[in-house]
Amino acid sequence: MHIVDGALSNDVLIGGAVLAAGGITLGLKSLPAEKMPAAGVLSATFFVASLVHVPIGPSSVHLIMNGLAGLVLGWAAFPALFIALLLQAVFFGFGGITVLGVNTVNIALPAVLVYYICRRGLASGSPTVAAVWGGIGGGLAIALTTGCVALALALTGDEFLAAAKLTFFAHIPVMIIEALITAAAVYLARQVKPELFENFAQSPSQGVSS
Amino acid sequence: MRSLRLALVLLFLTPVPPAFAHKVIASVYASGDVIEGEIGFSNGDMAPNELVEVFDEEGNKLGETKTDGDGFFTFRPTKPVAHVFKSNLGSGHVTTVRMEADELPDIAGAAIASDSPPPQDTKPEETTAAAAGAADETLTKAQLTLIARAVQKQIIPLRRDIDAYKEKNDLQGILGGIGYIFGLFGLGFYIAARRKMAGV
Repeated sequence: MHIVDGALSNDVLIGGAVLAAGGITLGLKSLPAEKMPAAGVLSATFFVASLVHVPIGPSSVHLIMNGLAGLVLGWAAFPALFIALLLQAVFFGFGGITVLGVNTVNIALPAVLVYYICRRGLASGSPTVAAVWGGIGGGLAIALTTGCVALALALTGDEFLAAAKLTFFAHIPVMIIEALITAAAVYLARQVKPELFENFAQSPSQGVSS
Repeated sequence: MRSLRLALVLLFLTPVPPAFAHKVIASVYASGDVIEGEIGFSNGDMAPNELVEVFDEEGNKLGETKTDGDGFFTFRPTKPVAHVFKSNLGSGHVTTVRMEADELPDIAGAAIASDSPPPQDTKPEETTAAAAGAADETLTKAQLTLIARAVQKQIIPLRRDIDAYKEKNDLQGILGGIGYIFGLFGLGFYIAARRKMAGV
């Protein structure tokens, strides 16, 4: 999921960095002070999730958890995930510094898309319906991320369809696991802290929705 | 229900390409007259049947080799220059590992001295005699090779341990990272709060 240094052409790196900077700016603007602790916790969740290895058959996968971050944070997922990715690159050598922008876009943009797709479902009166939408969001975020990764590779020269297929199928187990985890998290949040999502509905990102 | 279960079982049995296991690790070391190397992922999976391309410092291709089923490859160097091994494992996983000219195995080292012909003579007696004539060594060439082999054999597991150790994520790093995240967001919170206070 983390593209490493040296895999992409300079054009893609610069494009990714510009997009990421835009996303982070938008995210910081839409991040009210009350949401900041939640952003910190989700950033830390993402930071640690990649160290959780789930054995699948002969191999193992690691969690990503960008869907949950997107559902709770919306555009603010950009700065939250950016910081986590930066620290992952520095501490563990996942990805790299030059590809940071591309990786941020690959992981945070799906989170934002998922937020727009699922937020109506999350606001539903029944916690079960909200959990189902949460699950859809969790799985969809991974699927979209594989698409973004494949696109970044395709822009550099790999064939899109082959790269997309490989990454997508490799991540099917992650999608299922993350869908379940996100659904459970949304269900729990709706039970014990319903304002986590409601608060957010009242303070939407500026300019994009009204 | 049954078919669903079957589908799940099938899904879990499908060979999952290890290309998504986040970090690629490669290492090379001299062994006898070849360069041996390994490519794998940080979760312990090796990278089987991957193309490894070998370049010199200027980017000229020296040759290529392939990893076997255990992610293991060998390359016989012919030029006494720094070797750069590159491999693309797909899904954005590329790796580059470099071997300096003075780390190269014997054959290339000898090539520096004699410069033109590949010194693989398979007649150790003659070279021994020549070497003994030049410097009064008591060890024969064969003995030297044996010693070199023995030392290499001892060093390889150490190298592997060091490589593995470099990739280890210990608790300190994890906790440190979480600490940084909380600290940064705390700082952001502080700035936001100050701004709010100033506004009031």
